[in-house]
Amino acid sequence: MNANLKQALTDYLVAMADDELILGHRNSEWCGHAPILEEDIAFANIALDEIGHAIVWYELAADLSGEDRDTYANRVVYFRDAPDYRNTQMVELPKGDWAFTMLRQYLFDQFEMVRLEKLTQSSYASLAEAAAKIRTEEIYHLRHTRAWVRRLGLGTDESHRRMQAALNDLWPYALALFEASTRETLLIQASYIPDISILKTAWQVQVTTYLQEAALTMPTNSSHAIPPRTHHTEHLGGLLSDLQQVARLDPMAKW
Amino acid sequence: MTDTQWPRYMVLHQERDDRPHPHAGTVHAPDAEMALLNARDVFVRRPDCVSLWVVRADLIFTRTQEELTLHPDWLESIQPRGDTAETYYVFAKLTQKGQFSHVGEVEAENLPHALKVALQKYPDTRGLAWWVFPVKTVLKSTPDDITAMFAPAAVKDFRDQANFHALSVLRKLMRKQEAE
Repeated sequence: MNANLKQALTDYLVAMADDELILGHRNSEWCGHAPILEEDIAFANIALDEIGHAIVWYELAADLSGEDRDTYANRVVYFRDAPDYRNTQMVELPKGDWAFTMLRQYLFDQFEMVRLEKLTQSSYASLAEAAAKIRTEEIYHLRHTRAWVRRLGLGTDESHRRMQAALNDLWPYALALFEASTRETLLIQASYIPDISILKTAWQVQVTTYLQEAALTMPTNSSHAIPPRTHHTEHLGGLLSDLQQVARLDPMAKW
Repeated sequence: MTDTQWPRYMVLHQERDDRPHPHAGTVHAPDAEMALLNARDVFVRRPDCVSLWVVRADLIFTRTQEELTLHPDWLESIQPRGDTAETYYVFAKLTQKGQFSHVGEVEAENLPHALKVALQKYPDTRGLAWWVFPVKTVLKSTPDDITAMFAPAAVKDFRDQANFHALSVLRKLMRKQEAE
């Protein structure tokens, strides 16, 4: 693998990992606050799963760039500042209400599902292998979030109103999941990753059909452009100071 | 005051293919599908599960042995009426501390009748309490669900409390403090 390709794939893996980490952390904020005890446990499980997936991607990135896979994740998670994170803005937004949280997780799960299905065919073997493993957990996440989205969409006037508001807010951010970096062309040519425009078509058909079945109206004005992954909202800084606080107090501490 | 709680569902879980489904506990859920998902997250944190069943608690007909002994007339008064029969699961609590376990199935016309048939069919089962409920009211996971619902728990050893050393670290710190 030439240096350009290696760098492009490392960046791609870190961006995937950052999405999972930040979303997992946002989800973990519901721990102790979810609407019912059962869901508190369920959603904490999902948060942990996402953070676990982030570690898998970070480890692959470490292997590629010749870093130590045992320490790499901790270093990039705890000691990068907000501008160096490559997550999409959707995952860093505050957790909002339960409708917002569930809908965001659903839109992301469905995105992951279409991407993972293609990544299992990656010509980069360890990526294909990891995708297959992660996919089994995402099947369950999607079942869980689909169940909630449907019930909230078709539930009471209040739950429907909140879901529609969440959809209107989230839609432009969700579309930004499909903004490809220019370097991704290299990776597509090498059959390492799928073409994101193909993923977008599949994803859009699935979520549109499902959300309409849940009595939600798809937003039409998607003109509100979301900046690329190099730009973040003010919310990421707050999240990171929370996440990094203890590690930065004593960077040399042994656990 | 109206009860805003979601209904309770009994969760029955199977640890291995060749084992029955004993009672694992209870979850609240708005419907059976959500109950099945909640059951997975609450009761399948360890990998010893291949199948889950959920059934709404208020659809379970239950009698203790004490009630049956105190009111023998009640059992005698139950007679088949020639209605269509269906299959019912029979569960019994066999020890004070134990959970309800799966005894078998009976064909019966209604819930009380199912209990009566069960007591006749399983005379050697010394149940402290009995449950009967129609097979059709149970939502079951399928073998296809194993990969996504149950198998991932096998590699999540971070959930195993044996892997958290907080207690031993605390003890070490306390010993150190005492020494000082």
